This record gives sequence, structure tokens and C-alpha cells, in this order.
Amino acid sequence: MNPKIDLDHICTLANLKLTREDKKLLESQMIKIIKWVNKLEELEFDIFKGELDASVSLSLPFREDKIKPSLPTEEALASSPEKSEGFIKVPKVIEEK
Amino acid sequence: MRLTSLSATKLSTLIKKKEIKAEEIVLAYLEKIKESEKDLAAFITILEERALASAKSIDQKREKGKLAGVPVAVKDNILTKGIRTTCASKMLENYVPPYSATVVNKLEKEDAIIIGKTNLDEFGMGSSTENSAFFPTRNPWDLKRVPGGSSGGSAAAVAGGEAAASLGSDTGGSVRQPAAFCGVVGLKPTYSRVSRYGLVAFASSLDQIGPLTRTVEDNALLTQIIAGQDSQDSTVSSQPVPDYREEMQRELSSLKAAYLKNMVLEGIDPEVKETYYRTLSVLEEEGAELREMDFPSWEYALACYYLIAPSEASSNLARYDGVRYSFRHPRYSNLKEMYLNTRSEGFGQEVKRRILLGTFALSSGYYDAYYLKAAQARKLICQEFEKAFEKVDFILTPTTPEPAFLIGEKEDPVAMYLSDIFTVTANLAGIPALTIPAGLSQNNLPIGIQIMANFFQETCIFKLAFLLEKKVKFGNNELN
Repeated sequence: MNPKIDLDHICTLANLKLTREDKKLLESQMIKIIKWVNKLEELEFDIFKGELDASVSLSLPFREDKIKPSLPTEEALASSPEKSEGFIKVPKVIEEK
Repeated sequence: MRLTSLSATKLSTLIKKKEIKAEEIVLAYLEKIKESEKDLAAFITILEERALASAKSIDQKREKGKLAGVPVAVKDNILTKGIRTTCASKMLENYVPPYSATVVNKLEKEDAIIIGKTNLDEFGMGSSTENSAFFPTRNPWDLKRVPGGSSGGSAAAVAGGEAAASLGSDTGGSVRQPAAFCGVVGLKPTYSRVSRYGLVAFASSLDQIGPLTRTVEDNALLTQIIAGQDSQDSTVSSQPVPDYREEMQRELSSLKAAYLKNMVLEGIDPEVKETYYRTLSVLEEEGAELREMDFPSWEYALACYYLIAPSEASSNLARYDGVRYSFRHPRYSNLKEMYLNTRSEGFGQEVKRRILLGTFALSSGYYDAYYLKAAQARKLICQEFEKAFEKVDFILTPTTPEPAFLIGEKEDPVAMYLSDIFTVTANLAGIPALTIPAGLSQNNLPIGIQIMANFFQETCIFKLAFLLEKKVKFGNNELN
């Protein structure tokens, strides 16, 4: 049975817009991939959610809370596409009524 | 003496003995790059002026570092301050990072010379370097074939004499598979061994940076240099870094190795299989205690990987929205449209496919059936390794199911994903794994064998690889 994929919904969640052709192709490829990964259904698990920790256990490291110089604003913003007076510029988010 | 076929260790020795200047080495490599790049297309950016300037200043130094004058190529998803770092994506085509990755700083501290930034599958997503937004890289052993991926440029550059060593990143085999396809040595270190500060994130629970080199000794040296704690990356282990190069010269105290059941190898290329068995018999002659082992969970490893990696990628790549990183689509009427247009135009097909797949696996109503199931399968794989390493020191497998395939041969994504069958398990479990060239096919294509060991057992891996390197005939330098 083919898995059901609501590609429009997934695209909305992922902030992606597809052309009609891409959509057709990606939809068929994703169905194929999902069918392929459905192999996992064969596995029976008695593992609890809580046990799914990282593969290498690490303790949370701490360092001294010392103030060090950080990246100058100008350098940090150098690659952003639009900026003004030390800020990144984006289209207006809040609309006027 | 051809400088472009010498090992990194040999080059730095020559420099230290003052038999040659760093400038001469860099000039020889730049000459080779000029000659070969039109065929290989391994580099996205070649740092001619910068490399020459570094060489000149190293030549002036009295005290020289461990990699003095060694031209190293760096995968273009590893940040280099002031040098464009593209991830082979249109999204980052003009991105110039304001800082360097820790691994780059560590290499430069030892006087390595960064000669260029190498091509990859966009954001590390692929197994052939065909998914680069700019151009595909070709395999130096056969220009009709892929160099593997995603660190294809890094592998081709070392095999083709364009760099003495290189760095790649490995999320599901992206160092080892191209290293095997190009006949070089490639290591994915233990998860947490090497700092990832400045590595553009793909799947954070799997990513590791690793070196690609012409010899095992070079690999040990580079690993030693790049490994270890970093105040900028809290996921790095505080375990001390051994002197791998020194340690690997000593004999192995125990050589118990597991090999795969014949059944598992069904469907793989017969020449790969033959090379695998030949390598096993070499080990046996060296007194190895070999035992056949079954890893039933590996059957699920690829499915598990192709849910976990895209899930993490879908989250990591959310940051590319036209706000911070260089590319913003010129047409939009509001914020949402800016996000949509930027991401739809900036990402290539494979990246979109993986973001969508990951978004799907994490979405409400599907999380339990997909992501959680994959996380459980991952745990099962880890447990199987744990049990195996109670009985053996190593697990040996072929690195890839076949030698390098033809450019354009694998159009179906699932067929491409199958290339990673032997490599993904080490990423899922977090253990170290190295590929070493172990033979040539009748078509003159390199075949690699993979050595896996328990967490932080890189020293043992290098010891075994060093032993195999001496025993297995592989005409690596014939290519140059």
C-alpha cells in the first residue's frame, strides 16, 4: 500500500514552494523512499522512550564564566543580504491596521 | 622526486631537514592543479595567492610545525575566515565566514597550507558529488566515473595529486566512501573526538570531520592534530588525544576481528567480495583470530539513517531563510514569501528531498511511526556493536558495495542511498571507522576495506591499518 503524503502540508511546514513538475517528481520519489523505510515496521521494540539517549554519553562540560571579546557586529553581519545601522533588515512583520 | 605524490609526513620531513622549501612544494601543487583541474574539477575555490604567501612565511620561520609546508585541501562546508565557504549550494554561493573552523586553525597552527576548498554534494547530501550546485567532480582513476561523495572533491584532490591531504566530513560515509572510490585512506573518528566548531551542520548526532590521506601514517598525524577538546564546542570529549603516529608503530596486543556472513554480502560486486576475503586471509596469516558474526540489525540501518539524517537536516537547514546568510531572493512582497522564494531557489533537488522527508518524519501524526521507530532501531544497532566488541577488537567490512560508478548512473535516489550500506552503521553508533585501499578491480578502480572498532579505539585502527598497508599490495602512487 502506498503511504499517504500530504506534500502541500509538508511544504508549508518546511517553508518550501515546489513547481508542479518538481512536486510530481518529489511526491513519487518520497513515496518510494517512505515505502523503503517502512521496513522498520518489521522490528519489534521493547525499548522505552527514555532510553534513547545519545550514542556517546557525555557529561555537560562547564567552563569559567569569563568575558571574552566576541565577533564585532560589522563582521558578524557582513554576509547578511540586507542590513542597516548594525541590524539585519527584513520585510515588515507587523502590518498597520 | 615528484612532490605531488609524496606523503604529507615525507613533505614535512623534507622541509624540516631544509632539503626543500615550502614555496617549492606549493608551486608544484599549484602547477599540478592547473594541469588537472579541467579534468577533475575537485576545487570550488583555489587559494593560489594565499597559499604562496603562507609558504613564504613558513619558510621564514625557525621553529616549524608538524605539517610544515603540507598543502591541505578543505571541504567547502568547513569554514575558512575571509574565504568563501559555499557548501556547494546556491544558498551560500557568496558566503564569506567571519571565523575559521577549529580544525582549520589547528592545521594552520602546525603550518599546514590550505591550498583550496573542495567540491561536495550540496550540504554534504549525496554519495557522488553530482549534487553540487556548481559542477560534478570526476574520479582521477577514471574520468567517466564519480569520485564518491559527499567529500568527493577532497578525495579526488588527494588521489589526483592536487593536495597532499584533505579534510572531509562524514555523516553516513561521506569521508570513507569517496576515499574508497579514489584509493586513499579516510577516517571517520569517534563521535565527539574532533571539534565541529565551524563545520556547517547537516545531521548533528552523526556529523564528524575526518582526514583523507595517501598513507595511514598521514591519517594518524592529521587526526592527532585536529582531535581534542575545544572551548567552542561542548560536544567534544575531554579524553586525552594519544600520539597516534607514535603508537601505531607498536604491535597490536590483540587481533580478534569479526567478518560478515556470506549472506550479507549477497548482491555486492564480486571483485569487492574477492578483495574482502583476500584481506581477511592476509590478516589470518598475520595471526588474526577471525570469527564470522551476524549483525541482524544492519538490515535496518539504511532505513534508520535515511529517517534520522533528514530529520536533523530539516531542522539544521531551517536557518537558511534569506535573513542571515548571503542569499536572499530578489522578489518578495512579505516575510513569508521571502522565506519561500529564497529556500525554493537556493536549495537543490536532493536538499529539498531530504528537508521534506525529515519534515514529514517529524510531523505531527507521523513522529512515532517514523522518527521514533528510527531512533529505536538506532539503539538496537548500538547494542549489537556493544555486544560484538565484548568478543572482538575489530569489525571488518567492505567500505562500499561496488567500486566507483559512472557519472549519471544512479538517478534513482534509493539506488544512490544504497551506496552507504556499510558505512552508516558507524555514524549511527558513533564508533570510529577507517577505509584503506586494499586492491584494484580489473577496470583499474580502487577497492576499499573498512575497519571499525570500539569508541576511542583510533589507535588500534591505525595499528591494524598500518599493518594492512604494508601487507596488501595497492599501487596508490601509480596514479600520479
